[in-house]
Amino acid sequence: MEHTKSNKKELLSVRNLVVEYTSGGEAIHAVNGVSFELEEGSTIGLVGETGAGKTSIARAILRILPDHATRAVSGEVYFKGKELLTLPENEMRTLRGKSISMIFQDPMTALNPVKTVVDQIAEGIRLHQKMGKAESIREAVKMLETVGISEDRANEYPHQFSGGMKQRVVIAIALACNPELLIAAEPTTALDVTIQAQVLDLMQKLQKDRGTAMIMITHDLGVVAGVCDTVAVVYAGEVIEYGSKEDLFDHPTHPYTQGLFGALPDLTKNVKRLSPVEGLPPDPTNLPAGCSFAPRCKYATDACRQAPVGMTEMTEKHFVRCINCGKEA
Amino acid sequence: MALLEIEHLKKYFPSARGTVHAVDDVTFSIGKGETMGLVGESGCGKSTLGRTIIHLLESTEGTIRFQGEDVTRLDKRGLKKLREDMQIIFQDPYSSLNPRLTVHDTVVEPLMLSKRFEGDALEAEADRLMDLVGIEKRFRMSYPHELDGGRRQRVGIARAIALNPKLVVCDEPVSALDVSIQAQILNLLMDLQEEYELTYLFVTHDLSVVRHISTNICVMYLGQMVETCPTQELFDHPLHPYTKALLSAIPTIDIHNQKERILLKGEINSPINPKPGCRFALRCPYATEKCHQPVELHEISEGHFCSCCRLNEIN
Amino acid sequence: MAKKKNSPAKKQGAGSERPGSFSYIWRKIRKNPGAMLGLIFVIALFVLSFLSPYICKYGYDEIVMKSRFALPSLDHLLGCDEVGRDILSRILYGAKYTLSIGILSVAVSCVLGVILGAIAGYFGGIVDTLIMRFLDVFQAFPNILLAIAISAVLGSGFDKVIYAIGISGIPNFARMMRANILTVRNSEFIEAATSINCTTFRIILHHVIPNAISPLIVQVAMGIASAALSASGLSFLGFGVQAPIPEWGAMLASARGYMRDYPHMVIIPGLFIMLTVLSFNLVGDAIRDALDPKLRD
Repeated sequence: MEHTKSNKKELLSVRNLVVEYTSGGEAIHAVNGVSFELEEGSTIGLVGETGAGKTSIARAILRILPDHATRAVSGEVYFKGKELLTLPENEMRTLRGKSISMIFQDPMTALNPVKTVVDQIAEGIRLHQKMGKAESIREAVKMLETVGISEDRANEYPHQFSGGMKQRVVIAIALACNPELLIAAEPTTALDVTIQAQVLDLMQKLQKDRGTAMIMITHDLGVVAGVCDTVAVVYAGEVIEYGSKEDLFDHPTHPYTQGLFGALPDLTKNVKRLSPVEGLPPDPTNLPAGCSFAPRCKYATDACRQAPVGMTEMTEKHFVRCINCGKEA
Repeated sequence: MALLEIEHLKKYFPSARGTVHAVDDVTFSIGKGETMGLVGESGCGKSTLGRTIIHLLESTEGTIRFQGEDVTRLDKRGLKKLREDMQIIFQDPYSSLNPRLTVHDTVVEPLMLSKRFEGDALEAEADRLMDLVGIEKRFRMSYPHELDGGRRQRVGIARAIALNPKLVVCDEPVSALDVSIQAQILNLLMDLQEEYELTYLFVTHDLSVVRHISTNICVMYLGQMVETCPTQELFDHPLHPYTKALLSAIPTIDIHNQKERILLKGEINSPINPKPGCRFALRCPYATEKCHQPVELHEISEGHFCSCCRLNEIN
Repeated sequence: MAKKKNSPAKKQGAGSERPGSFSYIWRKIRKNPGAMLGLIFVIALFVLSFLSPYICKYGYDEIVMKSRFALPSLDHLLGCDEVGRDILSRILYGAKYTLSIGILSVAVSCVLGVILGAIAGYFGGIVDTLIMRFLDVFQAFPNILLAIAISAVLGSGFDKVIYAIGISGIPNFARMMRANILTVRNSEFIEAATSINCTTFRIILHHVIPNAISPLIVQVAMGIASAALSASGLSFLGFGVQAPIPEWGAMLASARGYMRDYPHMVIIPGLFIMLTVLSFNLVGDAIRDALDPKLRD
C-alpha cells in the first residue's frame, strides 16, 4: 500500500503559513513561514519541542486560533483545492468536524462532563450528516464499538472512564463523520505506555480502514517512527527539516534534528552520556535575524547569523533549512 | 553492604472507597553509588514508595534499613539526621519551588537550617552549589516563574544535594521537560553521581530513560513488585508478562525494526481493596485460576527476581 | 550576544517583580482609572476628615437654629440638618469613623480569620472539623444580624462596633484562607521543605502563608466596603457610634423623619456611603483582575 502513495492526490497544502500572536503589546512570532503537503490517506508528523509552534499550525489550519491574542495570520492553506484561510466562516464551520477534525492532548477537557459519551458522539453526527436522533445514536454506538468500548458503557459519563478510554471516546467523536483529515495534537502524551500502545494501534487501524489522512503533532520521535510517512521537524516556528520518514531517521541532517536524536536515550545502543543541543530555543518575541538555530549551533558561521536561511533540497524531497549542510554534501 | 535495604514494605492509605494498597510488599536493596530504576505506570505506587523510603510518608508495615541500621521508625532527632542523608528531586519543576523565594534563597535554606554554614561560608557554599548545577549568576536573584523548566529543575537539584545526601530519590525528574533539556538534566545527574558517589532511586515511567541511567530496575504494577534485576538483564531477558508488554509498548525510533507490540487488553484498575493474588492477572494474556493465589517473589537466576507464578509454563 | 537576548528571563521585562507582589498589583491599579478614582476618593475623604476642624467654617456640633433645614447654598455647601448643624462639616467629621470602622473591623476579621483558617487548613482532621463547624454556626446568620446580636451583648460605642462587625466577618476570611492553604499545602515545595528539615512553624510561616495570602487582598478591599456599610447600618439602627458623633448611618437615621420635606438630609449621607462602598469595590475589582492569571498581560 505504502509504495503506491505517489499516485495519490494531494489533500492538503500549506504554503508559507505565518501566525503572530500579541501579548502586552509585543508580537510573538509563533509560526514563521511553514509549508508542507499531505497526500490523501497518508500521515505527516510535526515534531518539535514545547513552544515550537506545532499546535499553532494545527489551529491555524482549522481556524480556531484565539481571537483576542492573534495578531496576524497569513499564507495559504489549500484543502482539496479550497483556500481555507479566506473561506467564509459558515463554510469553514461545515468543514470542521466533517472533513477535518482534531484530537487534543487532554481527553478530560475535550469532553463535556455533563453529557453521556454516546450523546457527544451522536451530536456531531447529527450536525453534519442530517440524521434523526435515533439513527445518530445507533451510529454513535457503532462508532464506540469500533474504538473498543462496549455498548453497555455508552450511556456513561466521561468521569466514569479512565484516561485511555476517554481518549478512545475523543477519537470516536473525531472519526464519527469520516473526516478526510484528522489532526492529532499529542494524542497519547497524557497516557501510560501500554495504553499509548493501544491507542496508537487503534488510530492506525482506523486510519488504514477509512483512508483518513493525518497530521500527527508530537514531541516523541518514537511515535513518529511508528505512525508517520513524512516528517517535518519544527523549530522556532519554522520547518527546519522535511522529508520522508526514512530520509529523516536514517539521515538526520540538520544539526537540530541530529541534536534531537542525540538527546534521546536509545533502547538498543549504549552511550555513556547523551549529547543534547545545549541552550534553549529562541524567545519568539525576539527571533534572531539569521538562522533561528544559529545561537545554539556548533557549526554556525557569520553567514548563518546574517540573513534568513532558505530550504536546501539534499536528496529528492528531503529538505533542510541550513546553508552549511548543502556545502558539505 | 547495601546502602538501602527495604523488606516487605507496605504503605496503605484510607480512602472513602476503601483501603488503597499503594505499596504492597516491596523488597529490594540498593548498593552505594548505584541507581535503582523504579518503573511502572500511573497508580503503580512508585512515587509513594519513594516518599515512604525517605520518610515523607510513614510506612504501614515492613522495614527500611539504611547503612545497616533499621530506620523504619524514628524519633524526631533521628528523623532530622536521616533527612540530611536522604533527599528528593521532584517531577514538577513548577510546583516544587516556592514561588516567593528567589533561586538563591531556595538553595540557601537547607544550608542555613542544617547550621553547618554561617555568614560568608554559607554564601560561598551556595555559590558553589549553583555553579555545580549550572545556574548562571544572572539568574540567582530571579524568582522561579522567570526561569524555564530546565533551570528550575537545576534549582531543585541544587537544593537536594545541598546537604551532601547519600541517597537521592529522583521522582520523575525529567518527565516534564523537553528532550534536549531532559538530556541535559540526565547528564547533570550522572555527573553528580560520579563526583559524589550518590545513590539514586530513580522513579520514572520512561523505560528508555531508566535504561540509560540505572544499574538495576524494579518494575511495579498496582503496588506490587513484579520483577527486579540488573538493567541489562531486564532488557535482554524480561520474564514477567507485564514487563514484556511494557518493553514492547515503548515507541522505538528504529524505523526498520518496528517490533510487534504486545497489546494488553483492558485498563489499569485501582489498588483499592484489591483481591489477593497477582494484580496484573486481569489484563494478563496467560492468567489462570492459579494467579489468584497470593504472590511472592522467586529468584529465577542470580539477582533476577520475578513474581509470576506461571513462569515455567509461559516462557 | 544573541543568546543572552533569547533568555526567557528577559521576557518578563520588569526585573524581579513577581505577579501577586504588592508592586505588581500597584502597577496594575495605576492603569485602571476606576480604581484610581476610588482610591483618590477614599484617601481624600480620610485626609479631609482629619483636617475638618481646621478647614470647615462650622463645627460639626455647632447648632445654629436660624439655619435649620437650610438647603445647600454657598454658606452651607451641603445644607443644614434639623438643628441647623452644617451637613458638610458633619459628613467630613464623620468620615473618619465610618472609614476606620470599616478598616479596623476588617483587620479584626482578617487576622482572626487567617489564623483560624490557617490552623484548620494546615492541620486538617479533627481540628479542621471543630473550627469549621463552629464557624458554620456563625455563618448561619446574616452578617448584620450577627453584628446586631454581638453589639447587643457588648453594648454600643466605637470599639464595640469594630468587634461586632469584625467578629461577624471572621468566617469569610477563615474559609478562604483554609481553601488557599489546602491548595498550597499539597504543593511539592512543601514536601521539599519538610525534607530539608524545616520545622512545622517555619513551613507555615515561610512557605504556606506567603503563598496563600495574596488572594485575600481582594477580600480585604471588598470587606472594607461591606464593613463600612454594616457600620452605617448599625448606627442607623441605634447600635453603633453614639450621638453627637456624626457617623453617616446615624445621620441617615435622624434625618429619616424629614425625608419628605428635606430630602437633601438623607440623600447626602446616603450618597457618601454609596460612593465609599463603590470606591472600595472598584479597588477590590482592580486587585482581583491583577491577581487573575487569565487577565494578566
